[in-house]
Amino acid sequence: MDYIYINKTLKTSIYKQIAASITDAIDVGNLKYNDKLPTEKEICQTFSVSQTVVRMAYDQLISEGKIKRIKGKGTYVTNRKNYHTFLHAFYDMDVEEGSNVFYHKELILLDDISEDYSAYRALKLDKGEKCHLFVCVIKSNQNPVVLQRIYLPEKYFPKFKEKFDKDEKLFTLIEDTYHYQIKHLHSTFSPINASSAEALLLRIHPNDAIYFVRMKIVDADDQIVGYVYNYFPGEFTEFEVIVHAI
Amino acid sequence: MPFNFLDLITIDRRSTVSYDQQIKESIKALILDQTFYYKNILPEPNELANHLNIDSKFALLAYKQLVLERYIKKNKNDDYNVSYFELTNYFFDRNVAIYDAIIALGLNPSIKCVEKKVVHLDKKTIKTMGFDMKEGLDYFYINRLYLGDLQPIMILENYLPLTVFPNIEKKFEGNEPLNAYINSQYGIQASISKRTTKAVNLTDKLAKLLNERKNAASIQSTNRVYDKLDRLIDFGRSHTISSYYFQALITKDEMKSYFPNSFQNLDD
Repeated sequence: MDYIYINKTLKTSIYKQIAASITDAIDVGNLKYNDKLPTEKEICQTFSVSQTVVRMAYDQLISEGKIKRIKGKGTYVTNRKNYHTFLHAFYDMDVEEGSNVFYHKELILLDDISEDYSAYRALKLDKGEKCHLFVCVIKSNQNPVVLQRIYLPEKYFPKFKEKFDKDEKLFTLIEDTYHYQIKHLHSTFSPINASSAEALLLRIHPNDAIYFVRMKIVDADDQIVGYVYNYFPGEFTEFEVIVHAI
Repeated sequence: MPFNFLDLITIDRRSTVSYDQQIKESIKALILDQTFYYKNILPEPNELANHLNIDSKFALLAYKQLVLERYIKKNKNDDYNVSYFELTNYFFDRNVAIYDAIIALGLNPSIKCVEKKVVHLDKKTIKTMGFDMKEGLDYFYINRLYLGDLQPIMILENYLPLTVFPNIEKKFEGNEPLNAYINSQYGIQASISKRTTKAVNLTDKLAKLLNERKNAASIQSTNRVYDKLDRLIDFGRSHTISSYYFQALITKDEMKSYFPNSFQNLDD
């Protein structure tokens, strides 16, 4: 609770000081998404202030969308930004030009596999054929934006380990390093409930809604050269579409 | 039961994954890629166990798990059939009425009115929805369930300003397609629809109406419809059943921001 600072000699009301302290702590990163805040009673006892004052501070922060109360559990930081993009640019994390949003990729698994029922069917691979799998989480300000499982068959991506650079963008790897011309991305958007593993990696709760986007990468010869499972945390992801009348 | 259904369910005896898990995953994948389709009858667990030469307890365990996850359902005559009702909508990013999209899915469409009334909204809500304050505070609210072959597919709430649609609460029955109605009765045509979509957990109330499990994941779409005068005429929010999905084909031309260099050369 050392991020809360109250100066009773100031004219600024105490509830505003509490709200400002918590806001500062969120802004500088001392408080992160899903961190639990002290109870109203704990703040009252520590600073000898009334519970009404603490409640007013929390109510203000709730109305600003910075924190949320979960009945029976407590009050949590919920300052996580939404990933809002046009539907047809959902895959491109660098699209927000001029904004101060930065994305970085964390590779969590690199593997060679020889079977995966669903992915192999999509990629038209036979069991036993080698396929490269890499799993990564793309984050913005420490908050996961998307979890990706990327499948690239060995037959299309030979000498993968020599050429793979985790910081290179996927489509740049496909087009510039391996010289496939991407024709289109065929994507399927469906809602699913998060498994405990997905929830852990996306910093959400198990069973929370996820936007599950399966994406086939099709090249100029109509080959499916890659397949990507994208898992977007539902609460923090919005896709926009503008439809014009005919 | 076509013979090849049995052959499609496979296990790997060398795998460290248990047989029941392998069967479950195998059937789940076949359902998800629509090899096993809605209402298809699965092989009897004993028949499958015999075919795979394993103890029938593994097949039963797998089926039990699939029932729990609502992929399959046990019928009164002890058959197991696919209950997963997966519907794709190719029209999400096109201007097609939900009613027509259901027809295009090969289903018989119907609309059930859950609630319709005039509501008095506060200024904050009106502002959040995006309506002009000059439209006043009274809105026609309608909540309707869209069904295909009598199964719920989507529920859609709409708010329409009474200043734009006077007496609509008296004239509109509730089970007719809305866009066609406002066009024919009020001569107002939708020009642009701005849609924002996200995945959410269904509330208890919505889950019940959609015949879904509690907390099931759903696609929520918030739609703002504007007329030719760029006036917001309809604010809508829909929720789908969990097995509803939509597809999008993104062409290379739409990926300009990703490949600025290659497109720059072409433009030159």
